[in-house]
Amino acid sequence: MRISRRPISSTPIGRAAKRFSRSVGQSVLNLMPSHVFTSERAINTFKNIGKYVTPAENRAILGLTAIFLQVGIDAMNHRVDEETRKISMARTAAKVIAGTLTGFAIRKALIKSVDAFSKLPGSVGKNGKPVTLTKLNTFFSPVTKALPNSDEYQNYKNGLGNVLALIVMLFTNFAIDWPLTKFLTNKFAAIGGVNNETSK
Amino acid sequence: MKPLSKFLSDFFMDTKNSLMRSFGEDPGKMLLHTGTLGWILSSLAQIMAVVTNDKISKKQKTFLIPQEAADAAINIGSFYIFTNSFTKLANKMVSTGKWRTPAIDAFLKKYDLKKHIGSYDFNIKELANFDEIKDAYKAIASGNAIAASTIGSIISCNIVTPILRNKFAAHRQEKALARIQAVEESAIIPPRGVSMDTFQKYAAMNSSRSGMKI
Repeated sequence: MRISRRPISSTPIGRAAKRFSRSVGQSVLNLMPSHVFTSERAINTFKNIGKYVTPAENRAILGLTAIFLQVGIDAMNHRVDEETRKISMARTAAKVIAGTLTGFAIRKALIKSVDAFSKLPGSVGKNGKPVTLTKLNTFFSPVTKALPNSDEYQNYKNGLGNVLALIVMLFTNFAIDWPLTKFLTNKFAAIGGVNNETSK
Repeated sequence: MKPLSKFLSDFFMDTKNSLMRSFGEDPGKMLLHTGTLGWILSSLAQIMAVVTNDKISKKQKTFLIPQEAADAAINIGSFYIFTNSFTKLANKMVSTGKWRTPAIDAFLKKYDLKKHIGSYDFNIKELANFDEIKDAYKAIASGNAIAASTIGSIISCNIVTPILRNKFAAHRQEKALARIQAVEESAIIPPRGVSMDTFQKYAAMNSSRSGMKI
């Protein structure tokens, strides 16, 4: 039997799915208001978000909002008994705190490290003088025909730092998050007066 | 055959160039992909933390382990669906010109393109004279994608996931507790000459002695 090697998007089902997705997309776009951002403040806000919100800040924002939202949702879960609800709240709070602290710190450190080892021709050091390129400080620099746009290059460094942070977190998840979550859960459970039976 | 060092060096270079191409232009996509991978890894650690915590009782574990597993599946799925949808919509808002700065507005007017604003297939980035407004466009596009990705993540991870996982885990706990109770009941053998019903009533009244709940 011959197996067709046509890409899925060129099959009748693929084309129908594409038409459907396009039609849904267009309907949603039609619902959205058209707007010209004339205020300098609004445009600068977009610029600053693009410039300063790295994956590390993104993780911190997620963690801070999680403390209020996730723990609140657990507190309103009346389908389980009070003791389970309390330990569930303790665990969620512990998990959020442990995950946010390590996630933020490791991402921040790795993004900084990638920045230090991704110099390009024309890079300027802290003293304002051009940096002498070496094998070490160009370790993470990609090879491009033209010098990349500074914003795009910053996005690349943030992305690479984040990927490396995930690799590091493969280990720290078990070495730090795991015991820290366990420790904090028990602390918070004790504060909430939960009777933690020792499992048999 | 390529020596191993050459192979690794080429692989590393290709990886860096590929990350530069995909993450450089679209930071929203970078946050989406790395975020998904991050949730997979952290979910694994969280499940292990419950399984090995001796201070959480067996009864609580019947709730917390499914809660974590549900958390992982729902978190990863909803993170991808919501964050991807938000980021895609935000990117479309900028690429089709629905959200624009005065510089982009003037550019569209100059080339008589305002009639295409908001059309799904219209993409400012693909226009021949895009270089004229490249900087103005990128100034708004990056921040917009990052903001959309962050808002999508907050909605999916901090609102949708906790609600869904609690519903799922509570259902699982009810089923698991019913199963444990059924097993305990089937293991009870009433003393000779006493009916099961009478024995169960007696045991329920003397729970402090038997430690058994029926």
